[in-house]
Amino acid sequence: MSFVPGQPVTAVVQRIEIQKLCQGENLILGFSIGGGIDQDPGQNPFSEDKSDKGIYVTRITPGGPAEVAGLRMGDKIMQVNGWDMTMVTHDQARKKLTNKREDVVRLLITRRSLEEVVKQSKGKSPQTVIEGHRATQGQQRTKHFHNC
Amino acid sequence: MPAEVKQEQSPSNATSLAMMQEPQEVVEETVTIEEDPGTPTSHVSVVTSDDGTTRRTETKDMSTNVKVTKMVKTVTTRTVRQVPLGPDGLPLPEGSSPLSSYTDSIDRRYMKNGGERFITPQATSTLTRAYNNSYTDSYGETPESQYIRHYGLHDGYTDLTDNYGSLSRGINFRPPRYPYIPNSYRPENSYTLPIRKDDYGHVAQPQVPMGSSTVDLNRSQPERFQPEPYGLEDDRRSLGHEEEEPYELEPDYSTANRRTLPGANRGRTLREPLRDVHRVRGYPDDPIEAELIDERHPYIHGMYSAPLAQPERGSMASLDRMAGRRSPSIDSIRKDPRWRDPDLPEVIAMLGHPIDPVKSNAAAYLQHLCYENDKIKKDVRQLKGIPVLVGLLDHPKAEVHRKACGALRNISYGKDNENKVAIKNCDGIPALIRLLRKTNDMEVRELITGTLWNLSSYEPLKMVIINHGLQTMTNEVIIPHSGWEHEPNEDSKPRDAEWTTVFKNTSGCLRNVSSDGAEARRRLRECEGLVDALLHALQSAVGKKDMDNKSVENCVCIMRNLSYHVHKEVPGAERFQDPSALQPPGSVGPQRKKKDDAGCFGGKKAKEEWFNQGRKNGENDKNYDTLDLPKRTEPSKGFELLYQPEVVRLYLSLLTESQNYNTLEAAAGALQNLSAGQWTWSNYIRATVRKEKGLPILVELLRSDSDKVVRAVAIALRNLSIDRRNKDLIGSYAMRDLVSNLPSGQQRPAKNLEEDTVVAILNTIHEIVTDSSENARSLIQAQAIEKLVAINRTSQSARETKAASHVLQTVWSYKELRNTLTKDGWNKSHFQPAVTATPKATKNGKPGYDDTTLPLMEKNQDGYSTIDQRDKDCKYKTDDSLADLTEREPLKNDTNRKHYIRSNRPAVSLVDACDVKPQPVDSWV
Repeated sequence: MSFVPGQPVTAVVQRIEIQKLCQGENLILGFSIGGGIDQDPGQNPFSEDKSDKGIYVTRITPGGPAEVAGLRMGDKIMQVNGWDMTMVTHDQARKKLTNKREDVVRLLITRRSLEEVVKQSKGKSPQTVIEGHRATQGQQRTKHFHNC
Repeated sequence: MPAEVKQEQSPSNATSLAMMQEPQEVVEETVTIEEDPGTPTSHVSVVTSDDGTTRRTETKDMSTNVKVTKMVKTVTTRTVRQVPLGPDGLPLPEGSSPLSSYTDSIDRRYMKNGGERFITPQATSTLTRAYNNSYTDSYGETPESQYIRHYGLHDGYTDLTDNYGSLSRGINFRPPRYPYIPNSYRPENSYTLPIRKDDYGHVAQPQVPMGSSTVDLNRSQPERFQPEPYGLEDDRRSLGHEEEEPYELEPDYSTANRRTLPGANRGRTLREPLRDVHRVRGYPDDPIEAELIDERHPYIHGMYSAPLAQPERGSMASLDRMAGRRSPSIDSIRKDPRWRDPDLPEVIAMLGHPIDPVKSNAAAYLQHLCYENDKIKKDVRQLKGIPVLVGLLDHPKAEVHRKACGALRNISYGKDNENKVAIKNCDGIPALIRLLRKTNDMEVRELITGTLWNLSSYEPLKMVIINHGLQTMTNEVIIPHSGWEHEPNEDSKPRDAEWTTVFKNTSGCLRNVSSDGAEARRRLRECEGLVDALLHALQSAVGKKDMDNKSVENCVCIMRNLSYHVHKEVPGAERFQDPSALQPPGSVGPQRKKKDDAGCFGGKKAKEEWFNQGRKNGENDKNYDTLDLPKRTEPSKGFELLYQPEVVRLYLSLLTESQNYNTLEAAAGALQNLSAGQWTWSNYIRATVRKEKGLPILVELLRSDSDKVVRAVAIALRNLSIDRRNKDLIGSYAMRDLVSNLPSGQQRPAKNLEEDTVVAILNTIHEIVTDSSENARSLIQAQAIEKLVAINRTSQSARETKAASHVLQTVWSYKELRNTLTKDGWNKSHFQPAVTATPKATKNGKPGYDDTTLPLMEKNQDGYSTIDQRDKDCKYKTDDSLADLTEREPLKNDTNRKHYIRSNRPAVSLVDACDVKPQPVDSWV
């Protein structure tokens, strides 16, 4: 999936709901993420388009909540609880995922196999097609100037 | 309902001056912020412009505007009435002496213009709306108790709200037709009605110039009062709702009003064309009376009957719709020539009107007019409106001082500092502070503090604000909202800070005034409870992971500013000034080249152990003040808190977690300030930063997109490297990140950092390579020489050239490195100052970090994670952030590890994008 900044992006996505697991004081999801607009996209082994600065699932804890929920290594996270993840910094993504006040995380993810499935069997795909806008990175800054 | 919020940020002069004198310190930033946005429920539009040095944000509460707009109509109505009815043919405001002069002119204008003016008698929904708004605004917000008191007697009105509503309505309808108000509706303690009576009764009535008009007036009155009260109530209730939710007309309304403003300003001439059309029709001789009549009619026919016909319709929207049916197009309503906005002198004159609601409406209208309109603000000032508004701040009625305050807030915003001065010149600042002490109304407090925030953006007013308001703002706002308590009750739980608008405004104001130089800093530091409360608020922010908001930003900026020059300015600082006793000489003296002093190293070691102990025993001080530090008999308080090593952790938390560039910059700046001095405390701060694993955090921020964050971090690193141990670590692990921020050759890196930042980085590099050939070697390995030579030869900036030249000379001074350099193809000429360098430097004497007395340093990329990253690079796998920290941690203490890592560094090719780019991070969640 490649994007043109500022243009809508269309992707086949799957919803995955993960119930966080209590581990000591922390609520964990059992996977790790890489990527983000502040990271070097060229080093992301999972992305097709090496300029893709999206957030990717890099590792999954065996038997952890994420694995149970069907998340896989290499999945690209499009949204977390409705928040766009295609144009965020690594840390922003991490924070959205680790929000202490939420013990359930709803992800919209996309992976290559989903795209292929859809291509092969058009019409009966269980996945939802969402459309989102890619923000240009410059916009990210402006939020700091708004009064909160 | 703040109508306007502003923010301004400007770099303070103090900053640059300070920088000049002591380059290695962070200087306080003058941050000017004006006003906060309005109520949460309102629409807020923000206009932001960032020109690099000045940031200005205006926020406007649209719903407020709408209200204000509507009020205009009300005001107009009354004015019209008053003028003709005045005892001597002059407008009523005689009672309010300050305005009498304007009254005169208004009158004349009315008369004169009146003759030309024209109003067609037609019912329109516009009128209706105006009426509705009039009560909503002028009465809806009046203390309810008043009305309840009056009408509570009515059997039918058990519901207070309903009573209130119907009452309001009654009053609103009645003013013009006072004589018809039933006596039973006039409780003795009602101030509104009696006043009305005065105005429209004995005074006004006899003055009605036109007999026919009077007749009309009278005739219309019965109609008004015939409707059943219940119908009115419903109507009123709906109005209440409407007030909260802007409806569709709002933008148009605003626009319309705005559009006519200039006309109002200049007199009526501009509007004449509209009316000319109607002039033909001929109308009563007295145009004002005519207008009055016109206004009434629509109300009666258009709006009034509607609610009665459909009493179940409770919402304003439905009213609007109904009205819409009658007058098909909004545009036509707006263009309806029967309406005239009062012009500016009239509005200002109304501020002195004996009837309070007229005052408040006029003030509210002024607020609206002034929004984003510098011309009007100036006109208000020149028409002497500001003293009148300030005078209204002391008005007992909440409605009046609230609206006056709102107007002042808008007037005080903007680049025209004369408006601010005008407020100050009529003692507006003490008046605002007085009101702040008096009122508990949150909205009023927001307006007051917003106004103060605006005023505080102008340098000459800062000290005035401090003199009049510092302790009050601290006691009334900062302390209570911060959650801090003077003497915490053992049972009471510690409270969190509340990020209220009031707190944000007040902290913004203090942030501005804190940049006004040494005296201002002294006053703030010594203001009882201020530092304690700010720290508490920030700790609460860190605890709640809520660190991106404006209030936090303001608090950190204040802390940063107050931390500036603590080692010189704090009472008793002398006692801590003798570092030689405590510190090996080499580690002291930020401006001097340090000697590689073994004693220093040993000394630090001891201290580290000492700090480690402190850490183990818990972060709570006590352990910090052993050995070298004077015993603390009681917990630190007040300004002492500014430089206790405990604050390091706070700032590091902010640096780790906050996404707000201003907060990041300020937190790094605070560390920079605290680590700058030559006193005991700065020694401990420097060591504490290392102990708290702060160095990797700072180095990581060298990759920030924000220029100023990079700059603040670079300077902080420079100060921190006064500590020998820190210098070694920074040299080993930060060089690459530092170098990557340098422009290569003619082209700037993607970041395109400002000159100041590049110079700061160069100076930091210089500091790091000075007295450390090991660090110089790191610099070479980081491929910095090529960049430095390029800057030295081709940079357009004299300061950059000079700074780069210093670094190069220092590097060349290490004979043991020359062999390496030569192998890389460099020769002595590359390390000599460019011919033009010196002249350039002198002529471009901008104060900056390039103090010649300061050593220049090389920069390195972040070494802390270099190895890890290298390992992870290709795998795109890293550990979570915690793991990152632990991996880096050994670097701080373990010299061997450092060397090990260094030797592991692959030879870097000249163009190695990988090295420069941020390494991928990987986080477990």
